[in-house]
Amino acid sequence: MPHDIEHDGAALADIHRHLHSHLPPEPALRVKALESLVVERGLVAPETLDAWIELYSEHIGPKRGAQVIARAWVDPDFHARLMDNATDAITEFGFEGNATAHLKAVENTESLHNLVVCTLCSCYPFSLLGMSPPWYKSAAYRARAVREPRMVLAEFGITLPEDVELRVWDSTAELRYLVVPQRPEGTEGWTEDQLAGLVTRNAMIGTDRDLGPGVR
Amino acid sequence: MDGIHDLGGREGFGPVVVSRDDPPFAEEWEARVYALSESVGAEDWSIDWFRHMVELLPPQAYLSIPYFEKWCMVMLSGFVNSGVFTPDQVLVGTTGETAQGEPKRRSLQDVMETDRRRCIDYSREQSTPPRFAVGDYVRTVRHGHAGHTRLPGYARDCVGEVVTAHGAHLLPDEVWKGNEVASPLYTVRFAARTLWGPDAPENDSVMIDLWEPYLEPA
Repeated sequence: MPHDIEHDGAALADIHRHLHSHLPPEPALRVKALESLVVERGLVAPETLDAWIELYSEHIGPKRGAQVIARAWVDPDFHARLMDNATDAITEFGFEGNATAHLKAVENTESLHNLVVCTLCSCYPFSLLGMSPPWYKSAAYRARAVREPRMVLAEFGITLPEDVELRVWDSTAELRYLVVPQRPEGTEGWTEDQLAGLVTRNAMIGTDRDLGPGVR
Repeated sequence: MDGIHDLGGREGFGPVVVSRDDPPFAEEWEARVYALSESVGAEDWSIDWFRHMVELLPPQAYLSIPYFEKWCMVMLSGFVNSGVFTPDQVLVGTTGETAQGEPKRRSLQDVMETDRRRCIDYSREQSTPPRFAVGDYVRTVRHGHAGHTRLPGYARDCVGEVVTAHGAHLLPDEVWKGNEVASPLYTVRFAARTLWGPDAPENDSVMIDLWEPYLEPA
């Protein structure tokens, strides 16, 4: 890495202030400026951008995570591998990628609930769950999930009994967290595909808890 | 830095706007920003540099502009800082130059493979023995520094228990400046009561991943 480029926070903040106060306020126009500059300079082809958008719109999303959870529910050996090293386990599906090299699965039980947040930015396991939801990136969630997580869960419709322990995971490093929800009752004999259909994105972050058929 | 980004525990933001079946991108421009972030950059950019650039946005802008607009501003300001574009080129939205080169058009299969290769290992060989072990109680430092760091303000000067020792991982405080330095990383469990006072539920906790320089023996 070159060391001749300035890493001076005050100077960088000055650039931000200058551009932010002089650029048009509409984000779409700012993005248009960025895309025009890099395309004119030959740094990227617009078709490559289209390919990335297609990838994260059609191919990479929470259905991947749901498949992993469903497999863990029906296959005890896979469940053990997922809890031991989640990155290796999702690699069996070819789901490893952006921000999942240090993936850790944390499992809900009758007496424990897990909730994931990133208070400092919005770290998220992109290659497994796709784009993060708007609420996950919101100031309200980032501020409150560590301080009053039970009130936040209530806003998601979860009344967590007092005797259920709550663990909140603040993603401050390159570790990323996948909540493994409990398999709902009444799903004996269901196929993996049927079970995957019950697993919501929010459950894999910890803001859904009961995934019983007909609940969501 | 004690920036506006350090939101954990701040009060007054009101309820969370709950949603369930969101599209990956709410607006087309958001999708373009995401795709640009995956496709362009300068040599001195790293994930930690990118995060710190978000933190350095004017505080009023940080709280008011949309998530992906922050990414757009990071790339624009970053290109200016790296000397790729001038501030004036950014403000007019064109280089004023004739188009240069014909970049390779990447297919869906190409970018899928690129995404898979972005499974980047941030762990490194541990050069010195770790100072703490699982079960140790540690106290987080009170004072940080003006650069990029990953010790949240709400967890400073607090005692917690080491629950996992992860070996050495790249240290964001150095990596953002381009210095590849690693340090032992731990998951530390803090009782909710330690962080928020006696009214917090007795058994609840917050787990935070913290590097060794953020910790002292308790």
